[in-house]
Amino acid sequence: MNRWVRWGYAGGIYLFLYLPLAVVAVFSLNNSKYSLAWKGFTFDWYVRLWNNTDLMTTAFHSLVIAASAATLATLLGTGAAFILHHYRFPGRHALFGVLFVMMMSPDIVIAISLLLLFLALFLPLGFITLLIAHTALCVPFVAITVYSRFHGFPTDIVDAARDLGANEYQVFRKIILPLAAPAVVAGWLLSFTLSLDDVIISFFTTGPDYEVLPLRIYSMVRLGIKPDVNALCVVLMIITATALILTRKLLKEKT
Amino acid sequence: MNESLFFRRLLIGTTWGWVCLLALIPYIILLGVSWLQPGTDTLVLPTITKENYRHLLSPEVFTITAESVLLAACTALLCLAVGYPFAAILANAPAKLQPPLLLLVMIPFWTNSLIRTYALIMLLKADGLINTALIRTGLLTEPLQLMYTPFAVFIGLVYTLLPFMILPLYAALKAVDPKLLEAGRDLGASWLQNFLKITIPLTMPGIIAGTMLVFLPALGMFYVSDILGGARTMLLGNYIRDQFLVFRNIPMGSAASITMTLAMGLLLLLYYLATRRSGGRVMR
Amino acid sequence: MKTFLTATCLSLFMLTTAVSTGFGADKVLNLFIWSEYMPDEVLADFTKETGIRVNIATYDSNEAMYAKIKLVGKGYDLIVPSSDYVGLMRRQGMLIPIDVNKISNFKFIAPQFTNQSFDPDNKYSVPYMWGSTALAINTSLLPAETVQQTADLWKPELKGRLLLPNDPREVIGLGLKTLGYSINEKDPKHLQQAFEKLRLLKPSVRVFDSDSPKQAILSGEVSVGLMWNGEAFIANKENKMIRYLYPPEGFSLWLDSFCMPKGAVNIDAAYRFIDYILQPKVAAYLSQSIGYSSPNTGVSEYLPEEMKNNPIVYPPAQDAVRGEFLDSLDENTMKLYEQYWIQIKSK
Repeated sequence: MNRWVRWGYAGGIYLFLYLPLAVVAVFSLNNSKYSLAWKGFTFDWYVRLWNNTDLMTTAFHSLVIAASAATLATLLGTGAAFILHHYRFPGRHALFGVLFVMMMSPDIVIAISLLLLFLALFLPLGFITLLIAHTALCVPFVAITVYSRFHGFPTDIVDAARDLGANEYQVFRKIILPLAAPAVVAGWLLSFTLSLDDVIISFFTTGPDYEVLPLRIYSMVRLGIKPDVNALCVVLMIITATALILTRKLLKEKT
Repeated sequence: MNESLFFRRLLIGTTWGWVCLLALIPYIILLGVSWLQPGTDTLVLPTITKENYRHLLSPEVFTITAESVLLAACTALLCLAVGYPFAAILANAPAKLQPPLLLLVMIPFWTNSLIRTYALIMLLKADGLINTALIRTGLLTEPLQLMYTPFAVFIGLVYTLLPFMILPLYAALKAVDPKLLEAGRDLGASWLQNFLKITIPLTMPGIIAGTMLVFLPALGMFYVSDILGGARTMLLGNYIRDQFLVFRNIPMGSAASITMTLAMGLLLLLYYLATRRSGGRVMR
Repeated sequence: MKTFLTATCLSLFMLTTAVSTGFGADKVLNLFIWSEYMPDEVLADFTKETGIRVNIATYDSNEAMYAKIKLVGKGYDLIVPSSDYVGLMRRQGMLIPIDVNKISNFKFIAPQFTNQSFDPDNKYSVPYMWGSTALAINTSLLPAETVQQTADLWKPELKGRLLLPNDPREVIGLGLKTLGYSINEKDPKHLQQAFEKLRLLKPSVRVFDSDSPKQAILSGEVSVGLMWNGEAFIANKENKMIRYLYPPEGFSLWLDSFCMPKGAVNIDAAYRFIDYILQPKVAAYLSQSIGYSSPNTGVSEYLPEEMKNNPIVYPPAQDAVRGEFLDSLDENTMKLYEQYWIQIKSK
């Protein structure tokens, strides 16, 4: 393929992905309460946002939940993908089925069924129930992503390692995990996104003392997007992007 | 060996543990509820009825299902068509550039999807950026009708679900051994032959995974088509949500979602059997 | 990698436990309310005056709030349902009676908002904000005389130019009003007539949207929209050619009221909060900052002229009388609504 065509295409996709964000960013600087037409430049919305401690707290909650649920889902999902691919055990096909079912259930169904479960278990609604629910939302996505990666694996390496006396844990830790790393990272990223974006499941599974951001945003949008929501999105985007870049840097220095 | 056995049991045990807690038990509860009657004071009455499932056979529900499946399938195909070349470009980019390029794909998705959908309105509406730009440059005199059309809905759906296609495809494409392609070239295969005979079959698991990750969520998704399409049709997602919330009929909603799940499961099973017979080793 | 993971998990865990146990005020109020419906300043002032900390949780639809209260029951002390859901929750015994004598400022509530069918004698609800759902018309796209009543919406020139709410009650209510029936009509024959009438309206409808309908009318995608006054108010602010019409056949009114769900714990705090909100000065501030009409008679001396006299926010008395509050419907009527709604939407 021609180099220019290639980068032109990729550039086009990036433009498609970023144009709406540019709109969000531009309107976060718009000096109009209802953000429908451009009315001049202002930083007011960022100042207001900074002073809106309540909104900042919910944003913080969201980040904590998204990071924890993504991590937990990645651990569980990678484990599930591993056993699905490497072992034969009773109910293996059923496990596949369950993963697909979890993935295609509409939000409201997951939300209500998990809520019924929490009520049956007398779990008080709050951080823990929200974490469990978000993990349930993300796990199948991780499992499928990682599982698809295992397929391209050279099985001879694993066999060689076993012949050389590696135990299952060592095989997993030293061979499988490093090879699957891109998919594991991809799974984490997908989970983080899903969790940060979820409205309906969060609404039903959290309690009054652990509000998360999408709930706020979702209902704020009903009244027309106000510039402070736009500003918040820009800030969140910058925070998550920097956090990721920093962790990458740190990890690189270590290894 | 003991350690190996322990590790294996531990993994299988934990997996079944969370599967039971997070999926099986809630779905069994749901399955139970779907055979009950809705109540006024309590949400369900302890009377067993077939009514909920019988109700699903109505022509309206059939139309709703057909529309939803069509929409989800088109979205998955579009995402695949757009995402595959993109993932291939990423996977073949210089190794150093790949992580930041991948990150750049993900960053937009950390903005709330509803906000992004409304941002799309800003672009697509009659006096939006696209129309204004086209009119200013003299390419158009009258604004294009973009909003509340199937075009807008597909733009929105692809925009929302594209990374779910790109990431598994990228992971699969990374796993393709370049030596195989080289060998193909040495044996005189054209680029297209290489692509059709080596790359596609080797990345099939990624294609399937990506298609599933887009198709299945798209099936239950409705806010994008509501906002960008004008909500003139009802989709499965709306139907189930309305049963749960607006019409306060939790048994009916449960029955609908269980039936949908079973139908899709059957579809997947048929697909699996078909591919197995034709020799593909796609979903073992 | 592993150490990094464990470290992140641990720090996250510690962080969350620290956050969740950090607070410990003795007096709290758990308020469950529409989002953007209670400014932070008001809550801060309330806490300053009473020492009661307010935990705020938000919802974006009556349906979702109802489902959560119905399923979970406890955790919330004060909720703000709309009139039809006040009726529903009262009939299902989900609310605690409110003694209005304990609320010294209740006397400021205008009589037209008390003693309604959804809550006779206000035993369970105290009005907070109200408004209407009527027709916004972009007169720069359409001569004003084209639409003077709801029956005009069926005119052929409106084909593909109409916006309706994405809400069965409002849409079927429009059909009922056009035929001269009550918005809370229960007679199946009349409902059938309304449905037949609405079926003919479907080709005219370009958009169903009750979240942000102003968007479509401002960009000129539609010429006429049935929307609530808050949206029309903003649309009119941005474009003066957009008028708001209270149709002669009547229109629906909404009223959001404070209620205490069964399972409320901090009852005293809830009373104090309601009383605080009903002070004319506070009510006026709220009405001004959120942009809706207050049912409080004391607000007029605090409100600026442009708001008080804006017919979109405060409908003139001769128009207001044609408005009707939504009340809850019985199960059988809901079944009909469901059936008609699906048929309207899926074809």
